[in-house]
Formats: sequence, structure tokens, C-alpha cells
Amino acid sequence: MGTEKSDLSQELLELVAREGMVDISDITPQSRLEDLDIQSADFVMILMALEEEYGVYISVDNELTDVETVQDLLDLAQDKIEEHRKDETA
Amino acid sequence: MGAVSACGLGVDALWQGAVNGKSGVRPVDFPDLPQQRVGTAAALTAEDLEQLLAESGHRMRDPVASYAVHAAREAIAQSGLESDDIDDRCGVVIGSGFGGAKTLDDNYLAFGKDGSMRLDPMSVPKIMNNASASWVSMEFGAKGPIYCPSTACSSGSQGVGLAYQLIKGGAMERCIAGGSEACLVNGVFRVWELLRVMTADKNRPFSKDRNGMILGEGAGVLVLETLESAEARGATILCEIAGFGTNSDAGDLLRPDPERATKCMQLALEDAGLQSSDIGYVNAHGTGTVANDVTETGALREVFGADLEGVEISSTKPVHGHSLGAAGAIELIVAAKALMEQTAPPTINFNEIDPKIGLDPVANTARAIDTGAVMSNSLAFGGVNASVILKRFDG
Repeated sequence: MGTEKSDLSQELLELVAREGMVDISDITPQSRLEDLDIQSADFVMILMALEEEYGVYISVDNELTDVETVQDLLDLAQDKIEEHRKDETA
Repeated sequence: MGAVSACGLGVDALWQGAVNGKSGVRPVDFPDLPQQRVGTAAALTAEDLEQLLAESGHRMRDPVASYAVHAAREAIAQSGLESDDIDDRCGVVIGSGFGGAKTLDDNYLAFGKDGSMRLDPMSVPKIMNNASASWVSMEFGAKGPIYCPSTACSSGSQGVGLAYQLIKGGAMERCIAGGSEACLVNGVFRVWELLRVMTADKNRPFSKDRNGMILGEGAGVLVLETLESAEARGATILCEIAGFGTNSDAGDLLRPDPERATKCMQLALEDAGLQSSDIGYVNAHGTGTVANDVTETGALREVFGADLEGVEISSTKPVHGHSLGAAGAIELIVAAKALMEQTAPPTINFNEIDPKIGLDPVANTARAIDTGAVMSNSLAFGGVNASVILKRFDG
């Protein structure tokens, strides 16, 4: 389970780098998205990729208001993906 | 006034929905979206849609024009205008955001999915944004100036506002004005999903647990005329359009600017010659997105004072949805009814005051008001703001 989770974290990190057009070596979980110059248009691309790859719908709204760092975004995505997987197996 | 909305056909259906908090939001199923992420919208019922399409009677009409013509027919009947009154002194200003969305969608699917070259040969006149305004002019013989503001979610408010300015400026004596939108089709719905401003849950404007908007569709049409012309023909005057303000943010295409929204409401108040304390009810743009709710509440505080005391505020979008280019006109009709009935319709689905904005709207149940004036706001993508003020007409 622990490995699965860290694999997912790595996948998500790669996704954020790819869709946010940031070099992955510049990203740490503590990086602030603002400092990485990830803006609202990039968010929409990241969220689209999350939907394509994991089937989760995250609106650019309340759920994202407290997201400041890459880790915040990874946590939100992981929660949503787990929620989605539970719904699918339910 | 005339309306087509998810609440039903007619102003009465719209008002009953708004005041009783009976939502027209229902499940929607788009056949060409294999995986739909958002499952609801304020769509017309199948029966209403069937009726409107059956009465359109012309192959060159997209549903958006049928909605506009139906709403215009109700508005004209209610206004008591005779065919002799609708001539070259009567203009038409009907806005739309997407125009003939169904025709465009059908064509894209036929061309892209099936590879068909047999597309609808009437696509151009059906898709063009001004088709609704043109159909209304043709249907009723209005030969005055014709305009079609296409300013996203402010199209309907600007439609009415522009008509008011044109009448005031002497370009026309009366006008059939409003907005129409029939955007609930595969492609449009999917791109709204991709913009991720729609909620997969319920639409909860100003509530702490808000999480996005719900799309809607429909039309709102009003008959506007000079006081002299209304009195000369013995018309029943519902209320007075007292002020209109519109401006732009010239900032960000999507993110609204509270300072410009403030200025817009102030422009409308100046135009009306009223103080903010004269306004007893505001039908807010209130989309239920964080960006809108924070901006609009900040602007309302600037205009009405920090505590917003003495003004009732609500968003009726959870009832009729966000109908984009029709929204401003539909909501102005709701505001007019609120003024006439002295009742502020509620923001339904409201759970909890959001400490970040601290706005306590008319939550879940309608409230009595005692006021001579109301305001309706639209804050559109593209940075287009519009505020209309209505005043009670006491003769």
C-alpha cells in the first residue's frame, strides 16, 4: 500500500511537471505553485490530465482555494483518486 | 415580460420557481459524451422543448431563436402592443453568448465523427449570433434598429441596457429586448466541464461549501418603451428601468475585478439618481464559484457599506441555472417580479455563511421586502460588467 501510494505520488508529480510545463528537477513537494509560475491556465491543464488518467473531476473552486504548494495539490489529487476508486469498486 | 427557462414556459413559471425555491436543475445526459463528469443542468423539460420546437415551424431556426421568439411573444402579449405599434419605431436587441449551439454541435459531430459532407445547408443563418434578434424582428414586424450584444454572461443585461440607452437617446420609441441561450449540447457542455467551473454537486452561491456553477438555458425578453408612448396607448406599466451601468475590467479574461464591479454598480446608481440605500434587493450574479462570490461580495460591500444593512441579496441561479447570454435578462425579470411582489426570492442550497466573505444572503426561503428599487448584476467573462436598476412605477 505504501509503495502504491508513493508510486502514485511520483506519477502525479510527473503529471504536474508535464502539464504545468515545469522541469521536474525544479519541483519539490514544498514548492509553492506560484513560485513555479503555475497559473490558472496551467491548473486547468493539470486537472484535465488528472481526469484523463484517473477519471477524477476537480473543479477550479473551493477545493482548490487552499492549494498553495505542490504537496497540497498532490494530497487533493490523491484523495480524489482514492475516493473515485472506492466509488468504482462499490 | 416573457421567459423560457428550466422552470417552465412563461414568467409565472420562472417566478414561482424562484420565489418558492423550486429548482429546474435536473439530470442531463449527452449522448455523445461517453464519460460525463457533471450530471445536471437547468435544462428545459422534454415537453417544453418539444412544444417550442413544434411551434418554431421553420427549418432555418436553431432552438436558441425559438426560445427568443416564444419569450418575445409572451412579452408582447403582456405589454398589450398591437401589430400597428410594432413598426420602424420599434427596435430589437436580443443578446446571445453561443448563438446556434445545437446546429454547430450537430454539424461538428456529423463532420468529425461520421465524416459526413451532408451538413445542414442552413447552418450559417442558424448559427449566427444575431439570428434570435432577427427572428424576433421578423416574427413581429419590428423594423427599427436591431442589435445583438454577445458579451458572454452579460449579453442579456447589456441587451436590456442598450435598448434603454437607445430609447433614452431617441433612436427608437420602444424595443423588444433581452437575451437567449440554448447551449446545452454535447460540445458546449464538455468545454464547460473542461474549464472546471461547474460543480458536480449542487450549486450553492455564497455558501461556504460552494463548489462551482450549474449551466442553464432559456430566454428572457422585455418590452421597453418611453413613458410617453406607454401612457399614450394606456399600457399597464410594470416598472421603470431607472438606471444602467456597464464597464469593462480590461484586466483578465476570466478573473473578475472587484473594483470594476463596484464602479459598474455605482454607474447604474448615478444613472438612476439613486443612493445605494434606495435599493432594497439585489439579484446578484452569484454563480457559486469562488472567483465570482468573493469579487461580487467585495464589490457589494464597497457600494452598500461594510455591513450591507438594509439590502436583501440573493442569487437565483440554483433555480434557473446559469443561462449565460440569457442570464441577465432572466434575472432582471426575476428582479422585476421581486419589486412588483415586494418579495426577495431565496438563494437555495445555502448551507453556511462563508467566513471568508461573510455574506448572509436571503437563504433558502423568500423574504418580504419594502422597497422602491432593485438591482440586477451580471459579471461576465471577458471582464464585462453590467448592472440594471428597476424602480417601482407608481403612476
